[in-house]
Amino acid sequence: MNSEIRDIFLEESRETLMNLESDIVSLEGHFDRELFNNIFRYVHTLKGSSGVAGVNSVYEFSHQLENLMDLVRSERIVVSETIIDLLLDSLDYFKLAIFGTDEEIEESEKMKEGLLSRIFDCITEGTGKAQGADEKRPAVAPARDERYFHIHVRFKEDIYENGIDPLRIIQDCCAQGDLLERAVDRSALPDFPQLDPEKCYLAWDLLIRTEKSRREMQDVFIFVRDDNEIVIEDVTEEYVKEKELPAADVKIGELLMDRGIINAEDYDSILEAQAQENKKFGEIVVERGYASENDMSRALKEQDRMRKKLESSTVRVDTVKLDNLMNLLGEIVIGQSSLSRIAEELEDETEFRLKNALHGLDRITREFQEQIMAIRMIPVGPTFEQFRRFVRDQAKASGKEISLVIEGRETELDKTVIEKIGDPLKHMIRNAVDHGIETAEERKERGKNPAGSIRLGAYHQEGYVYIEVADDGRGISLQRVREKAEVLGFLHEGDEASEARLLSFLFIPGFSTAEKVGDLSGRGVGMDVVRTNIESLRGSVEILNQEGEGTTVQIKLPLTLAIIEGMMVRVGKSIYIIPLLSIVESLRPAREALKTVEDKGEVVMVRNEYVTLVRLYDLFGIPADCLNPWEGLVVIVESGEEKVGILVDELMGQQQIVIRSLDVDMTRSRALSGATVLGDGRVALIIDVHGLVGELTRRQA
Amino acid sequence: MNDTATKNRNVTSEEDREELQQFVTFTIGSEIYGVDVLKVQEIIGITEITYVPNSLPFMKGVINLRGNVVPVVDLRIKFRMEEREYDATTVIIIVEVKSRSIGMIVDAVSDVIDIAVTSIHDTPHFSASIETDYIRNIGRKDDLLVIILNVDKILTAEEMETIRKKEAG
Repeated sequence: MNSEIRDIFLEESRETLMNLESDIVSLEGHFDRELFNNIFRYVHTLKGSSGVAGVNSVYEFSHQLENLMDLVRSERIVVSETIIDLLLDSLDYFKLAIFGTDEEIEESEKMKEGLLSRIFDCITEGTGKAQGADEKRPAVAPARDERYFHIHVRFKEDIYENGIDPLRIIQDCCAQGDLLERAVDRSALPDFPQLDPEKCYLAWDLLIRTEKSRREMQDVFIFVRDDNEIVIEDVTEEYVKEKELPAADVKIGELLMDRGIINAEDYDSILEAQAQENKKFGEIVVERGYASENDMSRALKEQDRMRKKLESSTVRVDTVKLDNLMNLLGEIVIGQSSLSRIAEELEDETEFRLKNALHGLDRITREFQEQIMAIRMIPVGPTFEQFRRFVRDQAKASGKEISLVIEGRETELDKTVIEKIGDPLKHMIRNAVDHGIETAEERKERGKNPAGSIRLGAYHQEGYVYIEVADDGRGISLQRVREKAEVLGFLHEGDEASEARLLSFLFIPGFSTAEKVGDLSGRGVGMDVVRTNIESLRGSVEILNQEGEGTTVQIKLPLTLAIIEGMMVRVGKSIYIIPLLSIVESLRPAREALKTVEDKGEVVMVRNEYVTLVRLYDLFGIPADCLNPWEGLVVIVESGEEKVGILVDELMGQQQIVIRSLDVDMTRSRALSGATVLGDGRVALIIDVHGLVGELTRRQA
Repeated sequence: MNDTATKNRNVTSEEDREELQQFVTFTIGSEIYGVDVLKVQEIIGITEITYVPNSLPFMKGVINLRGNVVPVVDLRIKFRMEEREYDATTVIIIVEVKSRSIGMIVDAVSDVIDIAVTSIHDTPHFSASIETDYIRNIGRKDDLLVIILNVDKILTAEEMETIRKKEAG
């Protein structure tokens, strides 16, 4: 097969399957017709592309699956757990058959056989029921999407002679949904002397919002439609805001199917005709009377708008290109600052003009930078959605009933960060499922809802992104943490320990309070790994615990990895950057505030608190102007619970800095996390506060 | 007919390449060193170097190369030669090592020369106490003796690791 086509197919399928997965799992929560249509469309896309790529087994299978789903769409089968399981298993089959190794593909064939027979069972059951059950719709009628109809009715004048009351029909029609607009056309009403009271002169124009299909609306007029003027138009897209239209490249046939104008059989036969007659799809639809020309042009308009939206909303770009763009911008900024320096040296009127021009340029580059950063930001939603399946499977495996609530899916984060939080989140969710949420019996005993819930949320606050995994389970038993800490020798019996201190033990490698080692978690690798991962993203983790009520693990992350707000500090001739978000305060301590404490080294007394003092010149072995803290400045920084005071010569002001990674091999110091190029072209090193604190503790140990 | 013609041309061009190799040469003290021209990205004048604390002695620090932060190595220190003040001829040769840029500080850059492959010889065995991994061969062009460096070995992770261990032990 053409490898290029295959690559496109793989890429496309990966995305389709990901969407499919999250949609199927959300379907489980509640049936939503729109969602189901999406799923149908994804399967259909898969069928199409696998056909083009020549992956025949996938093509055939998706065709069968489509048949089954069509029955759901026509409401002959109700979505049950069987169907959802079947869909999920089919998804697993797709994954294996498309991305698997040769052996896995072979295995997938066996899977396919099993799945096909399950599909046929469902289909026979569904169609069987449908024979006698046409009248009796399923008790829980699936919610449908709402449509808007404009209905124009003009009855023939002698309608009363047929024994039909027009008003009843109009009322009947209005009862089908919400009547939004009504206009009565009285223009045909003759003057009173000519009025024949046994004739109907009026015409109605109605706008109705309803969940009923077009066919059902037509049925209202079934007895009168032959010799009266009745026009039903679907005007939905005029009333649905553009925002609500999904951005998608949808085939016109699929669109018509979605709107219930044609069904899958019609669709296939139209496609056949299209192949033979070489006409446009729409032409055939109109020719064969599946839809009126009006409907067709409306559908085409809708399709066009969806496509336009797609065009304006997505472009696929390699991240390397974005990085290059960012690097180039960095160079522009530096070039600009050297221009400003030259401008300083000029002394005539040109200086003023050049400076003005540079200011303008500066504004543009700043905006430029913001825009590039914005490109790198993507919503966290899709990452969160992936966990629906995970929670569902884990909950089933552990025999618990757990629902996953997702909040703040539109919160945006740097792409690199999003790629890296997947694993830590998985750990945390696993913990919540395994250890947090109790079994249904236990929950009932405690008077809780037997179904547990895990909330996965994200929000922005003060220049950070917070991500929380909260469960309403049993919480962490501080007593047990204490016992364990004593056994492991972190605490002595009778030692005072605050809740925060106790909880911090959970981040020590190998520390676990789980009673039994689960299949999934509780093997001692957990929170410490989560913390390491998050800290590598320059974030932090905190546990908020309410015993008996639940646990919330909160991750705090910087908005972006590439740019931080930094404070420039000077030590001798060197300039270092301290991330602004780590800085608590800076001060010049009094001589008396300095003390030397055994096994803590030098400390500064700050607001009745001893803070370890770090002499940066000493740590880095560089010359400095101020050797005495009461002459220089002490910058108090914070890493987690730990506070440290850094002695520097002076503060140079704050600046947005673009982080460049430092060659890992270059230094043994963990206190440095990278470098940046300053406005004057010099390179300044960035101090890693977590690493600095870590290095200090290691030295003391 | 055409086919054979192209083939012949290919053969000759390959032979050409085999015969001559191009090197950027530079001096440190009185010696002439050479680096494969394909490894050299660019040559810049000495610029402000930011010292990186707790790094190896020959790591002079990092420089700003058009917005990128590039580590630089002082070859005099690396080769255990006496240090000297940087002057107008001092240059930094930016080479590419495993798709990363590294700068090498040398006394002066001399030329780009072609050396016949046949006059490139393996290094004679120096005494074992000197690290000679980064010396690839010795090339001769007329009266010139060029020490050809293997830049991949100038700064390798393994080397860094062994030095680190030595220092620790």
